Amino acid sequence: MPGFSGGGVGGGVGGPASAPPRPFRPSRYVPVSAATTFLVGSTTLFFCFTCPWLSEYFSSVIPIYNAVIFLFTLANFCMATFMDPGVFPRAEEDEDKEDDFRAPLYKTVEIKGIQVRMKWCSTCRFYRPPRCSHCSVCDNCVEDFDHHCPWVNNCIGRRNYRYFFLFLLSLTTHIIDVFGFGLVYVLHHRQQLDTPHAAVTMAVMCVAGLFFVPVAGLTGFHIVLVARGRTTNEQVTGKFRGGVNPFTNGCLRNISHVLCSSQAPRYMGRWRSQQAVEVQPPFLRPPLTEAQLEAKILDNGIQNDRHSTRSKSSLDQMESQSADAEPPPPPKPELRYPGLPRADTEESSLLTEAPPTPSMYKYRPPFNSPGRNHTALTHPNKMIRGESLDSPSPSILQSSRQPSYRSEPSSLDGATVVGGGVGVRRGGGERGEGPGGPGGTAGGVLGGMSGYSLTGRSYTSYPSSLVLSTGGSRSSSLRSAHTAHNPLTTLQSEGTTDTSYKSLANQTPRNGSLSYDSLLTPSESPEFESAAHELSPQKPRAPFPSATITGQPEVVSPSSPLQGYTSPFLSAQIAQQREGQLLQGSATFSSPHRAYLRAVSPPPSSGPPETQHLLQHNQDFSSSRAPRNPSSSSSSPGARSLEPPVSPPPRGLSLGKSLSYTGEAGPQHKPRPAGGGTVLGGGGVGGGQQAPQSTSRPVLANHTSSKPGGGVKKVTGVGGTTYEISV
Amino acid sequence: MAETHSLQDLQQPAVSSKVFVQRDYSSGTICRFQTKFPSELESRLDKQQFEETIQALNNLYAEAEKLGGKSYLEGCLACLTAYTIFLCMETHYEKVLKKIARYIKDQNEKIYAPRGLLLTDPIERGLRVVEVTIFEDRSIGSGR
Repeated sequence: MPGFSGGGVGGGVGGPASAPPRPFRPSRYVPVSAATTFLVGSTTLFFCFTCPWLSEYFSSVIPIYNAVIFLFTLANFCMATFMDPGVFPRAEEDEDKEDDFRAPLYKTVEIKGIQVRMKWCSTCRFYRPPRCSHCSVCDNCVEDFDHHCPWVNNCIGRRNYRYFFLFLLSLTTHIIDVFGFGLVYVLHHRQQLDTPHAAVTMAVMCVAGLFFVPVAGLTGFHIVLVARGRTTNEQVTGKFRGGVNPFTNGCLRNISHVLCSSQAPRYMGRWRSQQAVEVQPPFLRPPLTEAQLEAKILDNGIQNDRHSTRSKSSLDQMESQSADAEPPPPPKPELRYPGLPRADTEESSLLTEAPPTPSMYKYRPPFNSPGRNHTALTHPNKMIRGESLDSPSPSILQSSRQPSYRSEPSSLDGATVVGGGVGVRRGGGERGEGPGGPGGTAGGVLGGMSGYSLTGRSYTSYPSSLVLSTGGSRSSSLRSAHTAHNPLTTLQSEGTTDTSYKSLANQTPRNGSLSYDSLLTPSESPEFESAAHELSPQKPRAPFPSATITGQPEVVSPSSPLQGYTSPFLSAQIAQQREGQLLQGSATFSSPHRAYLRAVSPPPSSGPPETQHLLQHNQDFSSSRAPRNPSSSSSSPGARSLEPPVSPPPRGLSLGKSLSYTGEAGPQHKPRPAGGGTVLGGGGVGGGQQAPQSTSRPVLANHTSSKPGGGVKKVTGVGGTTYEISV
Repeated sequence: MAETHSLQDLQQPAVSSKVFVQRDYSSGTICRFQTKFPSELESRLDKQQFEETIQALNNLYAEAEKLGGKSYLEGCLACLTAYTIFLCMETHYEKVLKKIARYIKDQNEKIYAPRGLLLTDPIERGLRVVEVTIFEDRSIGSGR
């Protein structure tokens, strides 16, 4: 009985996935030809003119040794030149079916506790895996992209990095040998320097000496890279400067990974197996559970939330594996219908931020606008590639899921901090330096490297996971504190624009590459964005005692390991703990801060306007502190009010969103990320004296307010309900 | 041999949708796939079955990428022979990839095809996703 053969689905036996034919560019072959000529030519001359005498005078081991080294060099050179570096085949059509206008340009993924951003590649039609980059010279995405080497006319990536590295080592050794033995020859023939043999030997020595400096410099550079587990791309773009590299496993393991791992498989040019599996109905089905049946009945095909639902599911997907030990977040409204069909495509399961819909734009934090305009003015071409860092943030608030802050705040942090850094970097003309290939401008490598260090790129790097986990909020508040001083216009230079979508990226494909040549020209922004800060995370602000009220949740971090985020339940505990600590440490509060806590309770009716007002002051949280205090309403320090929207300073302090975000569970609501985050921070902070709460912020769960006597705690749950818990 | 087939039998089941199981990068760039059960498969497959399959794949990939004595010896041998050994010998990774292909075929035959699903070897997608093709179920009362 004929059945459907799975091979049809797979496209049958296929040849390699083909890239479009590229025009023949002879200029690409000049450097590699020159390198080959110099290498082979000089060595041949050495063997012909110098080695005979050496083998006679000393021993024949010398030419044999030199021949072995030379063959090793040549073999590695050929492998580096001709081996596929790890090119990803283009994604097929069905992987990218979702609406491009809604898909963000970047997706965030967490690697060992550090947020890493994956960028959509418009050419290859997938989100680039971590460490992957698109080479514009080769027009391919390359796995573990190191750089494009013009001297071998090939990208250096995962598959051939080892050969490239060994090529450098062996070439350095070979140059040293040739130069050394040539020197020996010349020193023994000082009186016969006019003979052709001596002349040739001296010429070979000159070539060797000339190439030695850049080659040795590059070799040393790559030895350091291998030891640190970085790629050239990451080193030159300063991704990990001041932060932690999530891809390193320790020096020894890094080295063994480069040298001893099994040869990685190639993805291109594979023969597709013909799947002879027949798929034919009737199909087996698992029995439906009661819940599923009920869900089907309830399912009314909510469509408009499809994207946010999808993103949430993907967030769950990302989080479930790492967050099993955490208490479950409160049920999210959008997930009330588990049976809801979700059209899934490749990227949807990667989505960690809900793609912004037009309706969400109005919820965007106001501080985006100046940045956006600034970006538009100064970096028009960057806008398109700009990350949708802030655009999904409203949706994150809407989705208000526990893990959302993880990706969102980090990206927001990335926006804030990176913006400053990126602004600087781009303004300074990126890629103005960079190591040149061997044989490049004399000393180009050293010049490049020094240039790199001099440029002072203040790019973000990955914060330590420790920071994120235990003191994440602290760091975030530190970040926020510092970023407050940065011109906020540059904060958004990475593009909190509506244009940061795949669709636009697809229209204007920009392929970044990091060849040594292209380092001289501005190339596209690196894919990585990280929740990084330039500050040392180990130095919390000194003046505050442990029972600080500055919205730094690190106060409670010892007691509640935050691990980068807190659940709403944890936040309730945090607030309770804070209250206790604050009660104990109330004496240590400095007066301005006490003034803060007083200024907590505007009446509930003024909540929403206050919210907006506060949001607008988000940026100047530190500056807004002072003016706000005196002007605030005079609720007594001991007053516990339920409603007041958060006191702005604590909110502003926890502008760094990551931990203060906890439990942004909730339905569509206006509160903005910073606002929401700071509410929690403020809630925790003010918990000691007052607990700022906001009935206008149902999304913020578990804000507690407690009375001075500590009799009853009021908790705002999801949906705006307030609970009283007697203590 | 004269056989009568209904038109429906002769028609191939159409592809209803595709689910893409993404890579799990939480431990770095090692090859791991997410074991979270996609919701689209809820009505087609047991969660445990799916997780077992993915976990087995993850284990196989871990074996392929293992830094062990075997891979080290392979590298040394390749060096000594100026990499000409690659012309005749199959690398460790490739051997495990073949194993994986066999495993996927086996799983397809035993578990997935009877349920109207098909797993695609992730190597065809550059080890980025595991593609699960869901076929349209035309049997009566499928409801989906």
